Amino acid sequence: MRPMAVETRPRVPMKPGLFTVPDDPREPPKFLGSKCSACGEHYFPRRAICARPDCLSESTVDVEMGPRGTLYSYTFVHLPLFGSTNLEHMDGYGVGQVDLSEGPRVQVPLAGKQGDFRIGQTLQAELDTLREDGGRDIVIIRFRPVEGAQ
Amino acid sequence: MKEVAVLGVGMYRFGMWADVTNATMAREAGMMAVRDAGLSFGDVQAAYVGHIFAQVMSGVRVMKEFGLTGIPIQRIENASATGSAAFREACLAVASGRHDVVMVLGFDKMTAMIQQSTQGTAPENMEDTILPAAFFALWATRRMHERGMKPEHLARIAAKNFNNGALNPMSQRQADKPVTVEKVLGARMVAWPLTTMMSCPIGDGAACAIVGRADLAKKLRPDRPVVRVTASTLQSEKYAPGHLFIGPVVGPARMSVDSSKEVYEEAGVGPEDLDLVQVHDAFAIEELEYYELLGLCKPGEAEKCIERGDFELGGRVPVSTDGGLIARGHPGGPTGLAQIWETTLQLRGEAGKRQVENARIGMCHMMGGGSVCVIHLLQRD
Repeated sequence: MRPMAVETRPRVPMKPGLFTVPDDPREPPKFLGSKCSACGEHYFPRRAICARPDCLSESTVDVEMGPRGTLYSYTFVHLPLFGSTNLEHMDGYGVGQVDLSEGPRVQVPLAGKQGDFRIGQTLQAELDTLREDGGRDIVIIRFRPVEGAQ
Repeated sequence: MKEVAVLGVGMYRFGMWADVTNATMAREAGMMAVRDAGLSFGDVQAAYVGHIFAQVMSGVRVMKEFGLTGIPIQRIENASATGSAAFREACLAVASGRHDVVMVLGFDKMTAMIQQSTQGTAPENMEDTILPAAFFALWATRRMHERGMKPEHLARIAAKNFNNGALNPMSQRQADKPVTVEKVLGARMVAWPLTTMMSCPIGDGAACAIVGRADLAKKLRPDRPVVRVTASTLQSEKYAPGHLFIGPVVGPARMSVDSSKEVYEEAGVGPEDLDLVQVHDAFAIEELEYYELLGLCKPGEAEKCIERGDFELGGRVPVSTDGGLIARGHPGGPTGLAQIWETTLQLRGEAGKRQVENARIGMCHMMGGGSVCVIHLLQRD
């Protein structure tokens, strides 16, 4: 049997400015965030002014965060994923809150079934195709449990 | 500051009313409230309109149903807390001495909003991949992990609210026989562990309150007790690590704690003085968390109190006496005003089969996504 040719369509984010889309599909995406130059707090998504009431500095710098995080909480939604034509999403999808090592907590879909998730487990970010649009894949960011990681 | 009272209340029952317009629901709820106050619309000096799924001009346009009297009209929006936020502005307008009689009118057709929503393909739909049900399910999973909560606790809350709703003619969901924990657990799963019966329904409806100077209340209706608004707060979030900036977000938990402390202080009462409480129970896990955050029980004791029936009618402090968002319904704009309707009737002793005996102080607590927390305390003389 001959190996199937791997079709790689250009990937574009559903909404720009939230995560990277690496040229190499094997490379995980990262979250686009900000770091406060004054107090060091990290934020997702990007912001111009630090949100801490005791800081409010107007000096923030762009940073990339992830791709790993720790699962804070999870659920499994028994409905198709909104905006998706991907068959994988028709029977439902996981959702989690994930703490990035830089500090911010993000709320994103999870890859896998309900039984795959445990609070405290390590996950890695990946891109997930929602649908095809004009020869391009429309992608969102999600997390997948890392096998064997604590 | 002038003392403020609820002069009148009205409701258009929440439900799936495909053939009824916002204008009709709003007019009926509004005229019911005006008549309940012993007034006519010509006595209303200002109006605050709570409407979420709004076209431009929808506040002033719907108010034309009552007659064009030239009064100031403002539309207010604060997600689920829209009606509560509008109520607060009306109370402040009376307290400041600016107006003596103010109408607060909430209406929405959530069924129409859902039909009009896009297929989820626009960039702004990015956040729609996380449903409110999923967000609150994450609270539930965390609570099970930290406190050993079981889905049965959530089912007990939902069953209570369904059974309270069956005693309220204005409740959207009307169970024809007592709802059991098993029935709630066996309903369709939305976002584990939340079933459809642990979640509020979509619906349409309207609700209205007339607020005014407290001294007018006794003159207008000497036949019944005066229901005063003794405290009001609206807080937005204070940043804390772990804050979520994207998604349907309600919280952080701290906001309900801080807001309730503020109203207790303002009214000079404590949680032990409350006779009944309405909360933002869009999902049963919320009601459970609010028991603790509002001080109705100690942190970590909600499960034990649920098992004891503390928050049921006849219990220590009944919560969601009208069925709550889960049974009475949650169309959006009018929801917070339905809480005012219920609390006012309870404090007057007019709540029929669900009457809390000798009720004197009631709390109305709403959360609005984004997020804000709005709390009012109502007290009868």
